[in-house]
Amino acid sequence: MNIDELKKRLKEYNEPLSLGINTSLSAYIDTIKLLMDEFTSGKNIHLIYISATIPSRSISSILEIYGIDEKKVFYVDCISHLMMNVAESRENTVYVESPTMLENIMLKTQYILNKNVKDVAVVVVDSINSLAIHNDMKILSEFLHLFVTFLRSRNSYMVILSIKEQATQEIMSIINFVSDETLEVD
Amino acid sequence: MDNVRERVPTGIEALDNILNGGVPKGNTVLITGSAGTGKTTLSIEFLVHGAMAGEKGLYISVTEASEKLLENLINYDFFSKEMIQKGIIFIDIPEIYEKLGMNKLQFNLDDINILIQNIVKIVKEFNVKRVVIDSITSICYRLQTEEKIMEFILRLSKALSELGCTTFLVSELLPSAKGYSQYGVEEAVSDGIILLGNLERKGDLLRTLRVVKMRGTSHSRATYVLDITSIGILLVPLLKGGGEMYL
Repeated sequence: MNIDELKKRLKEYNEPLSLGINTSLSAYIDTIKLLMDEFTSGKNIHLIYISATIPSRSISSILEIYGIDEKKVFYVDCISHLMMNVAESRENTVYVESPTMLENIMLKTQYILNKNVKDVAVVVVDSINSLAIHNDMKILSEFLHLFVTFLRSRNSYMVILSIKEQATQEIMSIINFVSDETLEVD
Repeated sequence: MDNVRERVPTGIEALDNILNGGVPKGNTVLITGSAGTGKTTLSIEFLVHGAMAGEKGLYISVTEASEKLLENLINYDFFSKEMIQKGIIFIDIPEIYEKLGMNKLQFNLDDINILIQNIVKIVKEFNVKRVVIDSITSICYRLQTEEKIMEFILRLSKALSELGCTTFLVSELLPSAKGYSQYGVEEAVSDGIILLGNLERKGDLLRTLRVVKMRGTSHSRATYVLDITSIGILLVPLLKGGGEMYL
């Protein structure tokens, strides 16, 4: 499906679920932009963005260019520390030292949820491909399974992003296993 | 099925879930682990949540001046330092030693009696319901023999339990330690053991928590990863990805 079709599809979801989005590299930025826009504008939903591919600062800059309000967006940044690029602290960002510290990703998400989110949250994992570089598949599957279950118990959604060009069969199997639905975006 | 023993919630949601509602009232629990694993923070949070629930807490500081401890204490979103000072009594044990003329390297049985009597006196006077001794290891150092350590912990536990107090004894461990306490006796006479540790996995250092033993309740014995935050201690299950655990 294309971005417009994805937008239409996202509007149809009424209940918390876990969603896999396997997007082509060319549609990657548009997909992020759509997720941010769709889930946060005018709704009582907070978005927690787990950045393991691009530092949160860069994602934030992209949103700024597109004029997307970040008021209801929080970041769990797993990559900036690794790149020794945490020069400033930002109010809406918590840092995890390394994308290998999967438990800490859950803990920081839990922290944001408990501290800031009274209603529903959407947690976007960007991306499973980047996490797969740093972790073995067994622990990654275990992490996503636990994480999805935890979010469901909090009445929240999970969106797992995957880049089509980098997705292996094993990665797709994990996404299919933990997601209620997997969408292909070009 | 658990006996219906009254529980004292630690206020740390995940830990209370692990313990099926909290620590059984009157238990003496060893909070054990090496430096930097979160023993003092966990113990203080136990007292803070108690104070919030209207239960007076007593923190007996053995190794660090409580004033310094308060300065370095994490700023909880849910509790101010002023409120901590109001709901928790902080006592530096060197002051008690000084007052009782116990400034000596080795304690005898009479000294043990005097020390316990004084702690009990404070508990009674202020109607304290939660006690933390940080650390029991430093007191044990002055007791020296296993017999005296056992006598001290057993008698103190009994006296505090009879007063309806739930007690955390902070125990310091060396990273190379094999058991759960420095002298081996503390773990045997305590009603519960909560082990805090560090886990090294691929160069990452994770803080961990495990409830090894807790009399009076069924509980999980799994290992959890711990985070110290301004909203309190958070826990998630440790992923089974391998790694070597040390205390």
